[in-house]
Amino acid sequence: MTTLAATELADYFPLIVIIMMAVTFSVANVALTLLLGPKRDGKVKSIAYESGMNPIGTARKRFNVRFYLIAMVFLVFDVEVIFLYPWAVTFPNVDRLAPGASEWLIRILFFLFTTVVAYLYGYRKGVFKFD
Amino acid sequence: MIATLAQAGFPEAMSGLTLYHYLFISAVMFVLGLIGFVTRRNLIVMFLCTEMMFQASGIALVAFSRFYLEYTGQVFVIFVLTVAAAEAAMALALVVLLFRRNESLDGSVWSLLKG
Amino acid sequence: MAEKLAYLWPEVTLFLATCAVMVIGLSPSAAVRRLCPLISGLSLAAAGIFAIGTTPTLADGAEGLMPGMLPYAKAIIAAVGILIVMLLAGTVDRGEEEELAAGVRKFDPLRLTSGEFYAFFLFSLTGLMLTASADSLIWLFLALELTSLPTYVMVTISTARSRAKEAGVKYFFLGALGAAIFLYGFALIYGGTGSVHLGEIHHQITLQMAGDGLNGITLAGLLISILGIGFKIAAVPMHYYTADVYQGAATPVTAMLAFVPKTAGFLALILLCSAIGWHYGETGHALPDTIRLLLWVMAVLTMTLGNVLAILQTSMKRMLAYSSIAHSGYMLVGIIAGPGATFTESGISAVLFYLLTYGVMSTGAFAVIASLERTHAERTQTGELAYDEADSIEAIRGLARAKPLLGWSMVICALSMLGFPLTVGFFGKLPLFTSGIAAGELPLVIVLGINSAIAAFYYLRLVSYPLFDEAGDEAGGFITTPMRTRPAVAAIGAVGVLAMTVFAGPLMGLAHDAVQPKLHDSDAPIADEAMPTEEAEPVAAK
Repeated sequence: MTTLAATELADYFPLIVIIMMAVTFSVANVALTLLLGPKRDGKVKSIAYESGMNPIGTARKRFNVRFYLIAMVFLVFDVEVIFLYPWAVTFPNVDRLAPGASEWLIRILFFLFTTVVAYLYGYRKGVFKFD
Repeated sequence: MIATLAQAGFPEAMSGLTLYHYLFISAVMFVLGLIGFVTRRNLIVMFLCTEMMFQASGIALVAFSRFYLEYTGQVFVIFVLTVAAAEAAMALALVVLLFRRNESLDGSVWSLLKG
Repeated sequence: MAEKLAYLWPEVTLFLATCAVMVIGLSPSAAVRRLCPLISGLSLAAAGIFAIGTTPTLADGAEGLMPGMLPYAKAIIAAVGILIVMLLAGTVDRGEEEELAAGVRKFDPLRLTSGEFYAFFLFSLTGLMLTASADSLIWLFLALELTSLPTYVMVTISTARSRAKEAGVKYFFLGALGAAIFLYGFALIYGGTGSVHLGEIHHQITLQMAGDGLNGITLAGLLISILGIGFKIAAVPMHYYTADVYQGAATPVTAMLAFVPKTAGFLALILLCSAIGWHYGETGHALPDTIRLLLWVMAVLTMTLGNVLAILQTSMKRMLAYSSIAHSGYMLVGIIAGPGATFTESGISAVLFYLLTYGVMSTGAFAVIASLERTHAERTQTGELAYDEADSIEAIRGLARAKPLLGWSMVICALSMLGFPLTVGFFGKLPLFTSGIAAGELPLVIVLGINSAIAAFYYLRLVSYPLFDEAGDEAGGFITTPMRTRPAVAAIGAVGVLAMTVFAGPLMGLAHDAVQPKLHDSDAPIADEAMPTEEAEPVAAK
C-alpha cells in the first residue's frame, strides 16, 4: 500500500510530460488545420454541429436504428478496455522466464479474440454499413 | 476487528471515517433503490433504481477491499461494472422497443398478461 | 489457470460454438442459417462428453467445494440442453424465413434474429455450466448473470407478439432486481469473511461458528444472497414474474426457462450452502438456525402457494409455471436436509437427481404444448407473422385419441410430474422425503406430502383431459406443427421418463457419488468407475 504522504515533486515528472504532449497535440492540430486545410464554405458547413442530425425541426422524430447499433458496439469496446488496465498493470511484474508465464499473454489474447468475434458479428449484422 | 480506515493509511483529514460510514452509505443506497423500484412506475426510473442497488454493492465492495488491504473487492467491482453496462444496453434496447409499441414508459400500461 | 482448464473444456466448447453460430446465423444463405440448431446440438453433445470425461481431482485447495458435482451437473445440463435446442429449432424468424423463401422480402441481416437466438441459448448454457464450476463469489456472480441475461432477450424475441415483449421486460426488470439483491449479499459475504473464495469462506464461517456465531455482516450477506438467488429458482417471495413470463414467451423458450435458471439457482444454492456447511443446529447436521429458518419458510410458502395457484389456472402454461414454482419448493427441502452418508439420506444428491427428472419431464410437457398450433398465422401490428400456440387447457381435450403420440406423451409427463408411483417423478421425489426425515425435518416433510396431494388436482386434469374427454370445439382448431422436432421432443421426453424409471437406480447412484465430499488424488477411483455408466443417461434421454 502506498501512502499519499512523502512524495517528491520529481515523481510528477511523467505527469508533466503527458500534459505537455496533450497541449502540444491539440494546439498543433488546430494550427495545422488552419495552415493546410482547404477553406470551402457552404450552407451545410455553417450550421451548428449536431452529430449528423438536422439541428432545426422536431426533436421527437425517430433516430435511425444505426445510432443505437453504433452505441452498442461502442459499449463493447469501451468496456473491454477496462479489463486491459489491470492486466497492463500486472503484466510487467510477471517473471517472463517462470514456467506458465506465457499464459499471461494467452489469456489476454483469448480475451481480445472475443472482441474480434463481437466485431465480426457487428460486421455481418451490417452495423458498419452507412448507406 | 474493526479498525478505522485511517489505520490503513488513509489521509489524516479523513481519519474520522470508519468502515461503517461506507457500509451505512451503501445500505442507504441499496434500500433507496429497492424502495424506488417498488414504488415508481416509469421504466427508466425503475432501471436506474436497480443500477443504484448495483452501485451500492460496489461501494461496499471497495470499502471492504480497502479494509482488508487487498484488491479482490476492487476487481469484483470492475466485473460488476461490466455486467451493469451489459444490463444498461439491454434495458435501453427493451425500453426503446416497448416505447415504439405503446408510446408510453409507464409500467402499468402493459397488462396483456394477467391470470 | 491451466488446472482449471482441465475441467472447463465443456464451457470452452460451448463458447466456440456460440461464436460460430453468431456469425453463421447471419449468412445470406438459408441453408447455412438452418445449420445453427444443428451446431448448437452437436456442441452440447460434445460438451456433455467432455464433462463426463473430466475427473476434477484437485488437491491444492483451489477447487470448488463439491468437485464431484461437476461431471454430473454438466452432463445433465448437456442432455436436457439437447432436448431444449431441438424444441427451440425454428422458433424465431419463422414468418421471415417463409417470406424470404417466397421472395416477398429481400435478405436483411438486421431483421433476422436466428443467429442471436441460438447464440444466446448457448451463452446461457455456458453460464449454467460455469455456475457448476464456480469456486469464488466473483465467478458465481458472473456465471449467474451469463445464464440469465441471454434469457431476457430470448423471451423478448421469441415471438412477434406484444405479450412476448411485455414478458421480456417484466422478466428483465425483476431479474435485474434479483441480481442486485444477491450481488449485495455477495459483497457482504466478502466483507464478513474477507475472501471471495468459497473454500476460504467455508473456513472462515467454520471459525466464526466455533467462536460466538456468525458475525452480523456475514449472516446478513448469506440471507440476502439466498433471497436473491430465490429469484432464479422462482421461490416465494421472488416468484412474481414466473406465470406472466412463462405465458408470454413462446412455448419452447418457456421450456428452457423452466430448466435453465432453476438449475443455475439450485447449483448456486448448493455451492453457497456447502460453503456454510451442514454441521450446526441441534442435531449437528443442519444449516445454522437463521439460514435454516429462512430456507424453511421459503420452502413451505413456495410449495403451497405454487400448488394452490396452479389449481386456479385454465392456461396450461400458467399452470406449469406455478407447478414449476412448487417443484422449486420441493427441491428446497433437499437443500435444507443437506448431504448424507447414503442416497436416501442425502438431500443434495436428491436435488441433483430431481433437476434431471424435472428437466426431462417438464421439457416433454412443454413440447406437447409447443407442438399444437393454430392453422393459420396472423400478422402483428408491426407486420411480422406470428403463429399462435396452444395455451388453454381445452386444447388438449381428447388429444390421446386425436393425436396419440402427443396425447400419451402429455399423460406420461404429467403423471411423472405428479410423482405417480413407478414413474421417475416418484423416484425423484422419494429421496427428498427420506432425506428430510433423516435430517429430522418432519413438519417440512408433512407439508411436502400434503402438497404432493394438492398437486394431484391439477396434474390429473392434464392426464384425464387427453385420455377420457371428447375433443371440444376449441381442440379442433389446432394442428400438429410442421416442425418435426417438436413432437419428437415430446416423444423423447415421454420415452426418457420411462427409460429413466428403469435406470433410476444407476442414475441415483451417480447423483450420490457426485456429492461425496472432496475427492483427493488417493480416493479418486470412486468417480472413475462411476463415469462409464453415466453415458447411459444421455442415451436414455434420446
